[in-house]
Amino acid sequence: MTTGTTGTADATPLFGPESQFRAFFDDPRWALAMIRATVLEAAHPQIGAALADNSTFVTHPWRRLRNTFLSMRRMFDADPAVREREACRLNRLHARMSGSDSRGRAYDAMDRAARAWVVATLFESAVTMCRLSGQPLGQDTMERMYAEYRAFLAALEGDAGALPEDINDFWRYFDRVVGDELENTEAARVILYRLFDHLPAPALLDGMPTLWAAGRALIGPLLGAITVASLPEPYRRKAGLPEMPGAATLMQGAYLTAGFTRFLPEGWINAETIIETLSLSPDSDDPRARTMTALRARMKRGAALIRLLTPLSGDSDPDSVPATPPSTGEGRRSAEEFFRQVLDQTGDGHLDWPDLAAMARELATRLDLDEPEETRLYDAFAAWWRELQAALDTDGDGRVSADEYATAVPSLAGPALIRVAEVLFDATDKDGSGTIDADEYRTLFRTAFHRDLATTNDTFGRSAFVGDFLSFMSGRRTNTPYDPLLADA
Amino acid sequence: MDGNGRWAQLRSLPRTAGHRAAEATVIDVIEAARASGVEWLSLYAFSTENWNRPGSEVAYLMRLVRRVVRKHAPLLLARGIRCRFLGVADPRIPRELAQDFDDLATLTADNRGMTLTLAFDHGGRRDIVEAARSLIRSKTPADEVTERLFADHLPFPDTPDVDLVIRTSGEQRISNFMLWQVAYAEWVFPEALWPDFRAPDFLACLHTYRRRDRRFGGVPPQTNGALS
Repeated sequence: MTTGTTGTADATPLFGPESQFRAFFDDPRWALAMIRATVLEAAHPQIGAALADNSTFVTHPWRRLRNTFLSMRRMFDADPAVREREACRLNRLHARMSGSDSRGRAYDAMDRAARAWVVATLFESAVTMCRLSGQPLGQDTMERMYAEYRAFLAALEGDAGALPEDINDFWRYFDRVVGDELENTEAARVILYRLFDHLPAPALLDGMPTLWAAGRALIGPLLGAITVASLPEPYRRKAGLPEMPGAATLMQGAYLTAGFTRFLPEGWINAETIIETLSLSPDSDDPRARTMTALRARMKRGAALIRLLTPLSGDSDPDSVPATPPSTGEGRRSAEEFFRQVLDQTGDGHLDWPDLAAMARELATRLDLDEPEETRLYDAFAAWWRELQAALDTDGDGRVSADEYATAVPSLAGPALIRVAEVLFDATDKDGSGTIDADEYRTLFRTAFHRDLATTNDTFGRSAFVGDFLSFMSGRRTNTPYDPLLADA
Repeated sequence: MDGNGRWAQLRSLPRTAGHRAAEATVIDVIEAARASGVEWLSLYAFSTENWNRPGSEVAYLMRLVRRVVRKHAPLLLARGIRCRFLGVADPRIPRELAQDFDDLATLTADNRGMTLTLAFDHGGRRDIVEAARSLIRSKTPADEVTERLFADHLPFPDTPDVDLVIRTSGEQRISNFMLWQVAYAEWVFPEALWPDFRAPDFLACLHTYRRRDRRFGGVPPQTNGALS
């Protein structure tokens, strides 16, 4: 893992495997730096409002992590066509995000200054990460890296004019934004204090909630403290973040330790493998999932023992009469559960357009859709949203609460939802054959056909597909292939 | 596990006290069975018909069983006993209890010492109906259904035929217990009430069984093991 480069910026291309950005890809410090950069982004009022409204990172952080990672990878791909396509996709994605924050100020994910700030935080966090772990970058490397990040912005925006051309001016720009523009936004607080405390288990560890909760209780506050201590001092003061004794040492120790992994043989730590493994759902037919099964069995047993040994609260005496919660039937989830796990993608307790847009976004990302299919999918979801709003929003506040949903579940399977299923079928059926074959199915669900599906000759017909989608969305049936797609963290 | 209620009545105690006293017997019998080399032990804790008992007694039993399972889980694990639960299908079983059953089964799944099957919310006829359903679902042609194949569709198909059934408190009925597996079982009916039943009583039952002449419908073999 080298951070010094030989040759000048002219000799090596800015993108591709030789770039500074790629050098950090598999560096564990990058994980800490990414969290820090995300907090700084969220502290920007425009970005914070967009995140708070649209982002699924609180309820589905692992899915979000995977998507972000893959997107960054494509943006720094050696092939310009891949980069351009990804930039177009991101632009389309961001163009769909605009609104106003809680104080009524408008935000727009296409705002030039805001997008420049995102790139600035990534660059600054990479530089800071190297400083904090005791291996500061040389002036040449830093300049080269800055050029890379400006090129990244240029690929998105068409030009990099929103960021200063010279790196010396960049630091003045950065300090000015931190001092003048950053605020103690809701989104930044959520990342610092709520995300890690409530981080849901990744798909791989989903069967072991006890173990996950125990680990999280330890790691969560630690990550929070490390991130706070690494933020710029002016922002910490402004946002009223605590200065805890020892936090700075802890933070530098963490960066230093993570930096030591550079002595490991190359290829030992591969971010892509780690992220892909975490996103594996247990019933996937991926060979790695099978190799994990043995480990999972052991962990499951550990979790079972912990649960059995945990003292009962209150009702340990069989003579006392505790209130027994109503048990839910197997294979169906309660309306509240479905609302929380599937419909409320942004985790704000309400069903709103951003929730459905997040579903459309996830499906479009999975299927790697181009125009005009992407717009068709969004339009279908938008029509479904209008149908839902008309049918369910009884108090007329423009959004649907869990209660409103629970009282009106049967009307969920209207014509607009069927239309969503049909558009999704067309988008999944890439070759337009009228059936979904094994490859197309795998693209959407990342797993092979299950034998209990209504399949004929290893393909999946339109009516079966639509029926399955509707039974997931309205019949609230669990254990469908849609679960890992829309319900997993 | 018969006689808990009568045991309590004899002492002018509520029926629930009898169930509570049963816990000591359960542990005693498990220990005695393990020590004397029994490889398969099944306890009939709760039948599908027991749901007809008064609601308060059923609720009490659910809480008691949960407490007992949790209390003795480490012991069962340490003794190498594989635990599993037969039945447990009714939605009236509290979710926490079903979770504890699952946890104990998962925890002890790799144990090889003795297999303890706890029949809870169990009915022999229901198991047979389930097996029939499973056969039909697998689209097995009628001609191919044999006793062997049928048994493979019962819950826990690795369970061998039952050799000995002990029914305490003098009751002499089958009461829908593992109907398929008890086809050739020997039956012993000790008079002791379940809370009074102890390891020596269990060993006495084993002794009775060993003196029985098991013929499985045939004629006695020339040499009948070490006890002939």
